[in-house]
Amino acid sequence: MIVCVAVVGHQNNLLYIQSFTKADDALKLHHIVHCSLDVVDERVNNPKKSGPIINETFLGLLNPTENYKVYGYVTNTKVKFILVTTDLDVRDVDVRVFFGRFHSAYVDAVSNPFHIPGKRITSTKFAERLSTIVKSFGLTSGT
Amino acid sequence: MVREVSESCVESLLAEIVLSYCSGFYANKPELAARRIEAIGFQVGHQLSERYTMDRPRFTDNLEAIKFICKDFWSELFKKQIDNLKTNHRGTFVLQDNKFRWLAHMSIDPSVQASGNIQDPSAMAENKSAQATGMHLYFPCGIIRGALSNLGIACAVSADISNLPACSFVIRIKA
Repeated sequence: MIVCVAVVGHQNNLLYIQSFTKADDALKLHHIVHCSLDVVDERVNNPKKSGPIINETFLGLLNPTENYKVYGYVTNTKVKFILVTTDLDVRDVDVRVFFGRFHSAYVDAVSNPFHIPGKRITSTKFAERLSTIVKSFGLTSGT
Repeated sequence: MVREVSESCVESLLAEIVLSYCSGFYANKPELAARRIEAIGFQVGHQLSERYTMDRPRFTDNLEAIKFICKDFWSELFKKQIDNLKTNHRGTFVLQDNKFRWLAHMSIDPSVQASGNIQDPSAMAENKSAQATGMHLYFPCGIIRGALSNLGIACAVSADISNLPACSFVIRIKA
């Protein structure tokens, strides 16, 4: 189950964050997201270490903590998407599909002429679309 | 899903933007009008680059990003690629489009063009029409600058229309 997703701008400014848990652990999840940004930077600046996924937008598993798995994705415009999940056996394909949809939702949101680049995304439509994508995570390619 | 926009609509809109900024809002301040038109282009380019780079691997250097502008980005906008790309390998790029679509329907008084070099007053008139055409180029310049700046490249873009309908865009990357 996906517990948290976040969009972080090119100056590491938070553009959007949403947690999907009932429990009161939002702060902890935000902390995990912020910690993972260092790993994103490391992967982007030293692409050799990440091996075969050179210059790909999908960065793969960033850091497994005891209960969560954190995945990252960087667009050409240096915007980072972070996904925190509690599933322990996640397939990369599913995550890729998820980030692909996430990215198109993001592009549609920032194409809104009333959105100010670099500011938080406040669109409710984006939030709705995102929760649909989160709900359908892992279902598309069969489990 | 590919969505298309009528070309004549875009051209009319561009002409109207230029007209209302140059002779409406900022009639006495052409530089300010140019800046505002460029800013509109900047936002358009900023948003389009986000969409058009979606399915691409990340760019490693500036040249790759410029090539993207020349090929894919230009094809999306104008259904053709840039005809000629020159660079001095020190941060200046010249993108030449031999038949720039947004200038293709621009009419420039032929009598002025023919006698432009002989008489002084008509040379002035040609200068004026070149100036008016130049106003229409701040928008595409802004688009290029917006797209590149969103890709992390700070630059200045200017246009050169010495031989219409060919048009070249000069990109100077800030070090």
